[in-house]
Amino acid sequence: MSAPELSELRRRLAEAEDTLRAIREGEVDALVVRSVEREQVFHLVGGDETYRAFMESMELGAAALDTEGRLLYVNAALPGLLGVPAETLERQGLLETLGVAGAALRDLLAPEQSCRRSTEVTLSRDGKQRHLLVTAAPLPLPYGKGHALTFTDITQRLDAVAREESERIGRAIMASAIEAVAVCDAQGIVTHASPAATRMLDISPLGLSFSEAFPLAFAPGAGAMEAGDLVAVALRGGAARAMEATLRAGDRARDILLSVSPLRKAGGAVGGCIVTLVDVSERRALEKRQELLMHELDHRMKNMLALVLSISARTLEGATGLQDFAERFTQRLSALAATQDLLAGKVLSGLSLRQLVSTEVAPYVSALSARISMEGLEVEVSRDAAVALGLVFHELVTNAVKYGALSNESGRVSIRAQRPEGGGLEILWEEAGGPPVSPPARRGFGETVIARGLGKFAGGGTAVDYRPEGVTCRMLLTAESLG
Amino acid sequence: MTSKNRGEGGEGILRLTLYVAGQTPKSVAAIRNLERICTEHLGADSYAIEVVDLRVSPHLAREHNIVAIPTLVRQLPVPIQKVIGDLSDTQKVLVSLQVDREG
Repeated sequence: MSAPELSELRRRLAEAEDTLRAIREGEVDALVVRSVEREQVFHLVGGDETYRAFMESMELGAAALDTEGRLLYVNAALPGLLGVPAETLERQGLLETLGVAGAALRDLLAPEQSCRRSTEVTLSRDGKQRHLLVTAAPLPLPYGKGHALTFTDITQRLDAVAREESERIGRAIMASAIEAVAVCDAQGIVTHASPAATRMLDISPLGLSFSEAFPLAFAPGAGAMEAGDLVAVALRGGAARAMEATLRAGDRARDILLSVSPLRKAGGAVGGCIVTLVDVSERRALEKRQELLMHELDHRMKNMLALVLSISARTLEGATGLQDFAERFTQRLSALAATQDLLAGKVLSGLSLRQLVSTEVAPYVSALSARISMEGLEVEVSRDAAVALGLVFHELVTNAVKYGALSNESGRVSIRAQRPEGGGLEILWEEAGGPPVSPPARRGFGETVIARGLGKFAGGGTAVDYRPEGVTCRMLLTAESLG
Repeated sequence: MTSKNRGEGGEGILRLTLYVAGQTPKSVAAIRNLERICTEHLGADSYAIEVVDLRVSPHLAREHNIVAIPTLVRQLPVPIQKVIGDLSDTQKVLVSLQVDREG
């Protein structure tokens, strides 16, 4: 054997010994086996390989990086999780491929970090955002140190938390809503109802179709509209605002303003609708009452103007001069104003007869004076009767002051009221102790008012008797004239 | 085939071929160790490295009669030298490559 052949044999022996040593000491983990046709690579599977197989099969994304952030290993799941081919990761590097998210991960890999730590990163993939929880832990490597990274997809978990939070806020809004709110699903079935909505009904609306739960009748202008039609409009993406309707539940009818709008799910598809019902019954009642009052006020104004014109004309007829006219006209308007003052605080109801008499005699004599006696006057009279009676009492008291029982120091006036058998009220004005009385030569405004003051009330009227010992006036009020 | 080359071929250059099998731990370790050794002990233009992935191209094992992976082959200067294992023993690698005189 030549020297070169011997040298080659020695070299090959040394190589074979070195190969065996490397296998024995675990420095190699794959072998090439040559067959007749081709070479095959076989991996030496040890404890590390079992772990590696486990890493490959799990759903979590996993990667190993060296201290410089270079990619050493990615498992099978990670490329799918990141939406990046494994070859791209190997070629470009993990942190570089992830861009902004990769920069966030570099903080996790800072050399001073020696314990396990996590961060959340967001990736855009196919127009959707994916949230990943990335955990980094120190990884001992055969040639130094590195980092083990695991990637967990927490998108669904975050979405579930967001949905739960959204649901909680929705429930809180529903619970605190003053107005009645109902939510329907895509089939028009009521799935949520605020307490105010449930209170409108005799039964719980949940699980019923909206039109079944809320029996609504729409204003005539809405044609043949039904509640189900409005819900259908909203489910097709339309909306309606402040539709007038009447809700009949039990024995009660409510005036309702109804609004519907679609409830859109993530992505914009209509998944149901929201119906708001505002109870405007009280508002409507107030509006009707206000309308009535305006009409009444108009009516009274016209009556009052006609009355003032009448007083003016009659006072002018009996006046001896301008001064006399001015004095009497003013007194009569003041009497009218006094009655109006009393009525001002009582919009539609009547007022007490005692109040009325006291107010009219007050300018001439105190109602508490011993010369005035009142009996049975705690009766309420209607508004119109009060105006007429006010004028009558004014004329009676001014006559008494000028010519009758109140024109001297000793005369007295008695005013009594009693309920006759036929109903209504009889009021008697009776003077005594005054100068002898004689009937007036002609009938002035005062006498006309007294004689006709109550005549317009059907069945009512006045009768004046000019007795020498004192004037009496009998006034009869119908039952309708009482408050 | 994965390859990494540094420098140009030429007189006096150290031409190395590292045979690996994908990303097995020893293969990855061998790549990192070789990069570290070259960076720390060799001049930037004095060597060229080619990494051959035998998992992708197993037939390339035939050229240098590779049995165990990872294996580093010094092709130039001749004679051919092999270092078998993950190259974690730096001194052994330097001796085998006979670059201790340069380092």
